Amino acid sequence: MTPPSPSQSDSLVDALAGIVGARHVRTALPERMTYARDGLPTHRRVPGVVVLPGQRDEVIAVVRLLATLGVPLVPRGAGTGLSGGALADGDAVLIVLTRLNRILKIDPRNRLAVVEPGVVNVRLSAAAAPHGLHYTPDPSSQTACTIGGNVAENSGGPHCLKYGVTANHVLALEVVLADGRAVELGSPGGEPWGPDLVGLFVGSEGNFGIATRITVRLLPVPRAIRTQLADFDSLRTAGEAVSAVIASGIVPAALEMMDQSCIRAVEDSVYAAGYPRDAAAVLLVELDGGSDAAVEADAATVAEILRSHGARAVRTAADAAERERLWLGRKKAFGAMGRLSRDLVVQDAVVPRSALPDVLETIGEIAARYGLTVSNVFHAGDGNLHPNISFDGRVPGLKARVDAASGEIMTACIAAGGTITGEHGVGLDKLRYMPLIFDGDSLAAMRAVRRVWDPEERVNPGKVVPIHACREWYGSRNAERGTRNGFAPSGSAFRVSRSAFAP
Amino acid sequence: MTDRAGFAALDPCVHCGFCLQACPTFLATGDEADSPRGRIELMRALEAGELAPDDPCVALHLDRCLGCRGCEPVCPSGVGYGRGLETARALLAEHRKGGVSPLARLALAALTGSGVSPVVYRLARLLRASGLPRRLAGWSRIGFAMGMLAATKPVRRLGGWAVRRAADTLTAHPPNRLTVWLFRGCIMDGLFSHVHDATIRTLEVNGYAVREAPGQVCCGALHAHAGLPHEARTLARQNLAAFGQGGADEPIVVNSAGCGAMLKDYGHLLGDGGGDAFGARVKDVTELLAARGPRPGAPLDVTVAYDPPCHLLHAQRIAEPPHQVLRAIPVLRVTSTADAAQCCGSAGLFALMEPAMSRAVLAPKLASLKAARPQVVATGNPGCVMQLGAGLAAAGIPAAVRHPVELLDESYRTAGYYA
Repeated sequence: MTPPSPSQSDSLVDALAGIVGARHVRTALPERMTYARDGLPTHRRVPGVVVLPGQRDEVIAVVRLLATLGVPLVPRGAGTGLSGGALADGDAVLIVLTRLNRILKIDPRNRLAVVEPGVVNVRLSAAAAPHGLHYTPDPSSQTACTIGGNVAENSGGPHCLKYGVTANHVLALEVVLADGRAVELGSPGGEPWGPDLVGLFVGSEGNFGIATRITVRLLPVPRAIRTQLADFDSLRTAGEAVSAVIASGIVPAALEMMDQSCIRAVEDSVYAAGYPRDAAAVLLVELDGGSDAAVEADAATVAEILRSHGARAVRTAADAAERERLWLGRKKAFGAMGRLSRDLVVQDAVVPRSALPDVLETIGEIAARYGLTVSNVFHAGDGNLHPNISFDGRVPGLKARVDAASGEIMTACIAAGGTITGEHGVGLDKLRYMPLIFDGDSLAAMRAVRRVWDPEERVNPGKVVPIHACREWYGSRNAERGTRNGFAPSGSAFRVSRSAFAP
Repeated sequence: MTDRAGFAALDPCVHCGFCLQACPTFLATGDEADSPRGRIELMRALEAGELAPDDPCVALHLDRCLGCRGCEPVCPSGVGYGRGLETARALLAEHRKGGVSPLARLALAALTGSGVSPVVYRLARLLRASGLPRRLAGWSRIGFAMGMLAATKPVRRLGGWAVRRAADTLTAHPPNRLTVWLFRGCIMDGLFSHVHDATIRTLEVNGYAVREAPGQVCCGALHAHAGLPHEARTLARQNLAAFGQGGADEPIVVNSAGCGAMLKDYGHLLGDGGGDAFGARVKDVTELLAARGPRPGAPLDVTVAYDPPCHLLHAQRIAEPPHQVLRAIPVLRVTSTADAAQCCGSAGLFALMEPAMSRAVLAPKLASLKAARPQVVATGNPGCVMQLGAGLAAAGIPAAVRHPVELLDESYRTAGYYA
């Protein structure tokens, strides 16, 4: 049974207003429409009601109220996600956490910070900077995205190659569960007992509840940093150079690649970084460490590897200002894609680094076959690809072609031994790919875990796990054609039935 | 539906959200509907006919935009937000019951009307001279207005900041002086004639001959931002005629950032070559001064916080010249605050039309200024001088607000250049 649209329900709106104040409840269509998209605007869902709590206690009260009424809810940060994960349907309440933006504590001696979920990533690093510390995970959207969103998506970023993703930097959480109970997970002091519930929550894409207080690790800003820009005549040689650098045993802090189409979009923008416009690809390599001499030696080795693998030139940033320019160009590249065409789909897949040269060529072939422009900007060191497909959505039939090409690209990545998301999450956008890599049993297991946190599946419903593909709906078909996933062999006795979770 | 020209400038938006943290109203409310990206969504829906131009909720959030255009210089795709907003506001004004709000009409008449405004400014100057506004300054609506008026009061001597009176010889005006034409504007002429005087004097010292253009009128910026492009065009044509007498390429100097941004944009407003040619002649006073160095003056022992007006920094992309002007004053220290580049909430008629949002936008800036403790806040736009002046007075922060050329003028006077 579909509940009545919350926007129609005066009592719900009144009750929400009673908690957060009337001006922080949005029911008018124009206001709700501004929340209908995230950073992947091809998905559009208009939420029933938008509520903007300003305090942790208000979040708890709102979630309790919705639990009592059985109304679905979706948490949202800055809405910079790239999988449609923070969108809510008309029967759901969107809980926007941007007003919970206080940095509650910076503890330089213990190198940690406690923040509310709406704190913008880069602002935390700015607040830690006077202590010589920073919050290391640096998604390209770090000037806009929130720590809460980073936790939900287990966000990566260029420097996660060496330092790990969000999950490696979250020490403890206070989480509001679907029924409105607030629970503490993890410990700021170190590894806790039992299973890693913090690790389980990080990356749960808003399915497990709302993090209202986040304790993160802060790391010292490296004393020595070298940033190099290498340019190449072909994508293939650039891809081979990436493998060679990794194979050398040196772990760069970051190793990023941009292709020509991306380079030109950035060079046309206010973030022009001086990337050579005629290069087929550039690599941005950063090395860091505690001593200048050691980092310099690594940088020399890397430069030599890059040259011997076909780099036309290797340039080293002369100072912090040039380093920042090189990085800003890379991090704003996604936003510069609007220069190519008015609509954009960004994909997110991971392939083994060794497969990079071949997969890049395949992506180029697929794009050519569909007559589409694909720009690549990605975390090459992790093999985490981000093909951006630019198109004009007003052209009839083009969006369908884009979707088909995206699907082929994803299939090619999976065939190369990869997977369907590196850091953007599944959300809505990649639901359709989940059955390509997980069989019904595996999906059912994921769903079972989710129902431990949220038995009614009321928090961010319809995301991440394609329910229609779970074992009990889809399992027999999956079992017939065999599984692609080595962790959950087909015919597993692991079964989840709906009744098992009945209260 | 009007032409899509302005809306077309929104096409490159790919919804990345990199503008969010550059938007003062989003920072104040945390609400997507008060952000550039959210407003673009509203404007796109307006164009597509999904939302009606007479929807009061659409108007609320578009009205609440300061028009500071702080989102434009951070946009990787170069979205023309200001252009889209202008088209959307014209569309809303067409469909608004009774057109532009009576309060806005009244304000436009009082501040820019050729018959009314001279009387208004005369009364305002009388009130200002009484010293009453300074005493009544505060956070109430009247108190804030009084603070704004008090902030316009000329200070004949900026105070005891002169380190020494330099034994400087009064040099003759440099040869080959370049003729420039002064744009007087409405508020600048009515309440800031002392800034015009300072502009003329400092330009003269730097080798410019400043001439007056009779028949000039208000630039039309307040009209254009209120969704009255026809009125703005009428004013623009009058200004074209008034300044047309001058040499075709002699610069027109302006010391108000809001006016400068509008004048430079006459080509777009009028859609013809005449407007383009006019716009190309327009220079901010700091641009002209910076082109000549400017000539250093005498030391002033004062700490200044420079607060770039949005219409100078974002709309005209003039960042460095005001600093060059301040650097021409020896000893003077410029202190910087982290949010200096963020709008102060003045934004033309915005402080009057949206007082609550305007104050919310001003609040973080006052907090940083309180911590930075400057003696003077320098900014080159009349609305910003008044907004910051009223805010500082209400918050009890002992700092004066001055146009940068006023400081240079004081330095030159101390140096004896005007002896």
